[in-house]
Amino acid sequence: MIKVLNYYANPGRFRRLSEKMYPWSLGLTIIFLLLGLWFALFNSPPDYQQGETVRIMYVHVPSAWMSLFIYSAMTIFSIFSLIWKHPMADLLCKSSAPIGACFTLIALVTGSIWGKPTWGTWWVWDARLTSVFILFLIYMGLIGLVRAIDDQVKSARACAILTLMCAIIIPFIKFSVDYWNTLHQPASIIRAGGPSIHHEMLIPLFLMAVSFMIFYFSFVLLNAQTELYQRRLKAIFIKNVEDKK
Amino acid sequence: MNIFLKLILKDIRSTFSGGSDAGAAILFYLLAIIMFPLGFGSDNQLLAQVASGAIWMAALFSSMLSLDRVFRSDYEDGTLEQMVLSGISLEFIIITKCFSHWLTNGLPIIILSPIMAIIIGLDIQYCWILIMALLLGTPSLTLIGAAPAALSCTVGKGGVIITMVVLPLMLPILILGSGAITAEIKGMGGIGHLYVLAAIFPIASVIVPFLASKAIRLGWE
Repeated sequence: MIKVLNYYANPGRFRRLSEKMYPWSLGLTIIFLLLGLWFALFNSPPDYQQGETVRIMYVHVPSAWMSLFIYSAMTIFSIFSLIWKHPMADLLCKSSAPIGACFTLIALVTGSIWGKPTWGTWWVWDARLTSVFILFLIYMGLIGLVRAIDDQVKSARACAILTLMCAIIIPFIKFSVDYWNTLHQPASIIRAGGPSIHHEMLIPLFLMAVSFMIFYFSFVLLNAQTELYQRRLKAIFIKNVEDKK
Repeated sequence: MNIFLKLILKDIRSTFSGGSDAGAAILFYLLAIIMFPLGFGSDNQLLAQVASGAIWMAALFSSMLSLDRVFRSDYEDGTLEQMVLSGISLEFIIITKCFSHWLTNGLPIIILSPIMAIIIGLDIQYCWILIMALLLGTPSLTLIGAAPAALSCTVGKGGVIITMVVLPLMLPILILGSGAITAEIKGMGGIGHLYVLAAIFPIASVIVPFLASKAIRLGWE
């Protein structure tokens, strides 16, 4: 395990591996997304109470899962970056933040659109909604911090420290619906006693979740590659300037 | 223990000998609370409803404003580095700094809060829960703000960006603290909120010294 990690601490090796994996993961994302969308829009039953609006769930729930998943992944990357000073963990943590912020925003917006017909309101300060909104603010703060520091290593470490600090919000969000009995419904899929929704709805939900997961995987690789190429360009540029002197 | 007291005395002495804005932060706390009746109008019923939130928001902002200076002067003139070189662990120094920040910021806020509660129109029978909530919440405010404050020293850019990062972290304390008082007024009992508030403090006191020391060492690399 440690050997593999050390092997890919080299930016060049990491970039070559990610370049090999990127087209495959992008292709898988598209396949799963199309399949999931087809199931979600045409091949799943409408809800007996909510009718067709229930289809918002197939975007809302997976993106809410992803917002938590990406933050947990960032927490793991920051642990690697602080303890083993792994340079690629730094890079992955930094490149995950914008994707996480996007998914959180999608979850908030679709939740709001879903809330209007079912709850009768766009927004309430319910425990789950508030905590997800705080998560969005944390993502924005992390992105802002990374942008504010010019030094590569410093910005990555600062990002890691803050990510670890804010990681306390994750269990808070997960269990917010169980501890506070407010408007948002409690967990119905990942819970003790198995999922409580019908399998015809579960299939498109899981297809969408898988496609979002691979989407994250491929775009975090793309972000990391871009950053690595930028660094190389910078290095080449500096070298050229020095050679001319 | 001797070093602990000496470090705290040093911090408090430098606070009182001027050059620090600890006094200004307390003044800000008073002024911010007085702004609420002026802004909302002097309707007693409305003020009693927003009183707990007003006091908590003022406490949060006052703590946040003064936190920026906790490490900065000692970091910039090299005192912190010399102390670490002389064999005191950095985590220990951070704990003493947080403690002295709480003594100069959190404690005055708690002592002043009954008076402010009367001014803003919170019923006197709810003062005890306000004081309890502040007593449990302000140490966590200090601790949670300490890691970003340490980060702001090494980054060299304080101000807006650090505030943007600290604020979401402090929001749970604001929600729980003012929620305790609101729940008590509504007759639901605010003790549950206080329990959660009390649970945040030990978690923060374990994590923060470690992270803040990492943040300061980042500047020395």
